[in-house]
Amino acid sequence: MAELITMPAIVADATEAVLASWMVSAGDEIHRGDPIAEVETEKATVELTSEADGVVDRFLVEPGASVEVGAPVAAVRAAGEDADAVERLLASAGGDRGPAGETGAEAPTPSDATENAPGESERSGEGGDSPSSGEAAQRSSPSAGRDHARVFSSPLARRIARENQLDIASLPGSGPSGRILRKDVERALAARQEEAAVPAPAEPGSPTPEPASAERPAADAPAPGYRDEPLTGMRRAIARRLTESKTTAPHFYLSVDVQMDALLATRRQINAALEGTGGRATVNDMILKALGAALTAVPRANATWEGDAIRYYESVDLAMAIATEGGLLTPVVRDVAGQGLGALSRATADLKDRAARGRIRQHELEGGTFSVSNLGMYGTREFSAIINPPHAGIIACGASEQRAVVRDGELAAATMMTATLSADHRVVDGALAAELMRSFKHTLENPLAVLL
Amino acid sequence: MPQETPLDVSTPVTVLTTDQRDWDEADETLLESMLVQTHAIRIFEEAVLSLAGEGLVHGPAHSSIGQEGAAVGSVLALRTADGVNGTHRGHHQFLAKGFSYLRPEGMSLVDGIKGDDLGEFTRRTLSEILGLKDGFSGGRGGSMHLQWMEAGALGTNAIVGGGVPLAAGNAWAQRQDAVVTRHEEGAEEVGPLDTGVTVTYFGDGASNIGSTLETFNLASAWDLPLCFFLENNRYAVSTLVDDVTGESHLAARGPGFGIRSWQVDGMDPLAVYLAQREAVEHMRAGGGPTLIEAQTYRFFHQNGPFPGSAFGYRSKEEETQWRHRDPVDRVASEMIRRGLITEEQNSDLAQRIREVIEEIVAGVTEKDPDSERGARRIVPALWPDAEGVDAHLRSDAPLGEVLAGSEEPPEGEGTERRFVDVIADTLGHRMAQDPGVVVLGEDVHRLKGGTNGATRGLAAEHPDRVLGTPISENAFTGLAGGLAMTGRYRPVVEFMYSDFMWVAADQVFNQIGKARHMFGGQSSMPVVLRSKVAMGAGYGSQHSMDPVGIFATSPGWRIVAPSTAEDYAGLMNTALDLDDPVLVVEHVDLYGAKSSVPAGVEEHRLPLGRAAVRRPGSDVTVLSYLNMVAEAVAVAEERQDLDAEVIDLRWLDRASLDWETVSESVRRTNNVLIVEQGPAGTSYGAWLADEIQRRLFDHLDQPIQRVTGREASPSISKVLEGAANADRESVRAGFDTIAHQLGLSGEDRD
Repeated sequence: MAELITMPAIVADATEAVLASWMVSAGDEIHRGDPIAEVETEKATVELTSEADGVVDRFLVEPGASVEVGAPVAAVRAAGEDADAVERLLASAGGDRGPAGETGAEAPTPSDATENAPGESERSGEGGDSPSSGEAAQRSSPSAGRDHARVFSSPLARRIARENQLDIASLPGSGPSGRILRKDVERALAARQEEAAVPAPAEPGSPTPEPASAERPAADAPAPGYRDEPLTGMRRAIARRLTESKTTAPHFYLSVDVQMDALLATRRQINAALEGTGGRATVNDMILKALGAALTAVPRANATWEGDAIRYYESVDLAMAIATEGGLLTPVVRDVAGQGLGALSRATADLKDRAARGRIRQHELEGGTFSVSNLGMYGTREFSAIINPPHAGIIACGASEQRAVVRDGELAAATMMTATLSADHRVVDGALAAELMRSFKHTLENPLAVLL
Repeated sequence: MPQETPLDVSTPVTVLTTDQRDWDEADETLLESMLVQTHAIRIFEEAVLSLAGEGLVHGPAHSSIGQEGAAVGSVLALRTADGVNGTHRGHHQFLAKGFSYLRPEGMSLVDGIKGDDLGEFTRRTLSEILGLKDGFSGGRGGSMHLQWMEAGALGTNAIVGGGVPLAAGNAWAQRQDAVVTRHEEGAEEVGPLDTGVTVTYFGDGASNIGSTLETFNLASAWDLPLCFFLENNRYAVSTLVDDVTGESHLAARGPGFGIRSWQVDGMDPLAVYLAQREAVEHMRAGGGPTLIEAQTYRFFHQNGPFPGSAFGYRSKEEETQWRHRDPVDRVASEMIRRGLITEEQNSDLAQRIREVIEEIVAGVTEKDPDSERGARRIVPALWPDAEGVDAHLRSDAPLGEVLAGSEEPPEGEGTERRFVDVIADTLGHRMAQDPGVVVLGEDVHRLKGGTNGATRGLAAEHPDRVLGTPISENAFTGLAGGLAMTGRYRPVVEFMYSDFMWVAADQVFNQIGKARHMFGGQSSMPVVLRSKVAMGAGYGSQHSMDPVGIFATSPGWRIVAPSTAEDYAGLMNTALDLDDPVLVVEHVDLYGAKSSVPAGVEEHRLPLGRAAVRRPGSDVTVLSYLNMVAEAVAVAEERQDLDAEVIDLRWLDRASLDWETVSESVRRTNNVLIVEQGPAGTSYGAWLADEIQRRLFDHLDQPIQRVTGREASPSISKVLEGAANADRESVRAGFDTIAHQLGLSGEDRD
């Protein structure tokens, strides 16, 4: 018998939870107790286990969607049952039919006009007051000014938006008279889904793969002299977000040269002390810690741009770039200033480890006021980065290298690093930025402060 | 000086009367049957009127009281295998035919209508009239549509004259059966055929309607064993026959058509019997159709339990005079006079019949618990299940399957052939295989295959089954319907132009389209109607229509529209495999088109209800049929901005449309363009668009767009005709609209 899996109440009084990811695919056979999805609330991430034996017929919500407790998230059919059973179940539950293409079995199509039961179920699905319906999403939409305006949209666009809890009223429409079309909704969905996956600006992209043999022109075909590679979703997201940042956020740049000898020496001592514990502090951890200290010292820079407000934060949350095989991720390290270097190192090591295994969760990619981007390992001397909105700024760190410095009128060798701040002038003015960078430099050059 | 000499209309029309000697010589058993049947019909009809008076007959109860003698006298002269049909006033004919079928040896005074089978027949007849599930048609037909095929009761008809052409079809089949049987038995091909005959009953009202007069001519032209039995009860509702005709001797109409005719006193059952016997002899011997005018009288108004005088159109005196000629009393008094029965025996017979019928009525009624006046109601359990409201609309042939023969597409070597030649060869192949296939239409037997050559060679091969018809679309289409209802014949009718469907509309829509459902699935209706679309040929407003949009609204019809010669063979063969009426739409533009057609295509069969994707694509689903498929594909190939999927629908009716293919495509492309050539008013696309928007609303990214012609029917003038029809440029404009509504560069030309 077909069954619906519903969103459980993970903590008391929780009214909704985010279905972070699916751990199974449509068509998979599952058994009672098998983990099938990761669900997160504001406080917890848990595995959702199946209460049914059967085959996953279809998902009723997209990963990342916020779902009301009790709402169906997936349909499971018994082995040997066809999709009709699920259709009937959904019809009787008044639920959605699930995102197109998600069904694990071919959806039935009415083959006889007199046999209009599927049509009926579609209609009842349409009218069904699913708790996760788009109407609910629209009612809670912040776009209050448009509440009473008629939004023109195609039926298909409305359905896709509803299935993805997207407020269709917030979208621009490209059809006649601004009618919102499928492509408009899909564009918005692509943006939403991949927003989180945008790498730190100016980080190198994944290494360009060696051209595969299939991409070499066939011997008898004329070589075109170029190769078009269609944009991946991530590539499109990077392009969109960074274009938006660079064209809307007024960037300005401040560079400081930081003498790193003391910091590197301190790090060696720390790591010697940690020998055998498995713990290890990286230069990047110490840079994060120094930026955390600087933002504590200059709290007016610990902010984000909110369009009609500047939001100041009590804790310092910083995004760090991590390269993975699947692409670059920028998880946010929480409360950098409030934790010791050891705890911070463990946190960043855990993030790097999970990033490598694809286990970073959606909420870990959100938030923060500044990012740190580091190209030092490639020998880059200095560079400026593009801000990751709505952050107030980003610090781009070059290589630590031996340079000739003048000290007390004498030439001397020192290990130097150039760090460049890109700041959003809407949030941070020049003097404030300079104050922040002075504090950052001071902490790095007096590394005991990092340990505090 | 012009000279005038009388024109000798040589076909006789005679008045047949009886005298005492005829009654004295009449066979006793014949009179017994007459008395039992006339009594039974009278008492049955009184019971029906009584139920009608209680409000238990839904719809009209057209009583035949007064006319029993005409039906009984006529039916008693028939064999059980002979066919009858009738009109809205047909209880008496139906009962007489049923009784005679169950008691071919005659009915007896001793038994009356006692007997399980007689009682059951009477009960089922009453149930049908009351609309109950135990009726012959499950209560779908009611009083005006009584059919019992087994007994040769072919079905009464609520369209005045509507049943007459259908009866001609049955008569044609009877004669053909006799010819074939004699041929098979190797009998001498001389002497009378001794065919079965068909009697079609109708009234004075129906003697003035086209389908009756057309059938007079058709039956006479083809020497059909069909008796036109005209119960002249003098009133069409309230209109006196003399008010509406210049020749109130209605029997006189026969000779003008070359039909041997009789006029007879319909209140004298013996006279009717004798006239019918002569007519039957004439027909069985191959003398062609006959006409009997029986002068009779209904004692009540058109319907219900009140006399006509109550409505002021005739006098009580007139009614009293006619009541003195009561046919039931006439038979009884003659028998009493001859000493065959006594008054008491006659009253006792009537009483026993009344008891049987009262028991039947008691079985279908009960005291209404909601009534304070002790009224009766129908026993609720006897009503049909409302779930079955659409049952029997069509056969249950499985969608997506080939119904007979091989599913394999023809793989023979291709040769260049004209589309129209494939039509003729496919029909020829089926005629050779199936002796039940009959081709009929105007000029189909001449001109080397009709006006377009679609029946080329058929008449030479099968002269008895290729029928060049008079220009009487209603009659010959109805004849085809009657042929199909026999279950033995599969007529293929040609409409030279589709617009002629309006001329034949009663037979096409009221009869052929509705018969199976209306009669509760008792008979099938395998009529194939080939209908030509001549848009673009300059034939003007009345010869250029596309009939699909109209047929799609008529539930009984299936519709195919072949766009290629190979498809034509595949669809025609499947149409001929179906037990349903199928409209096969043909377009003049395609007739001359040459294409490579594989050998053996004549045997090709396409599955029922499968469309063809002519061009796969991803941006818009273009739905079309017939000649416009090629136009849609051509425009799709031109487009840079839209990748169109073009679907050739092939099957267009509600039941056969390939929703699986259409839905799959629309769910993928999310945009729909329906392309057809004809005017917007009768457009098929209007119906289709409605179905699509209700089934696939949530998958549509813009309104369903349509390409049609303009509002008016196309004119003769070449430029006006071109402007009226949709053409390639119109299709381009349709694509532009799709593109524009997708926010692409296209310009909305609407």
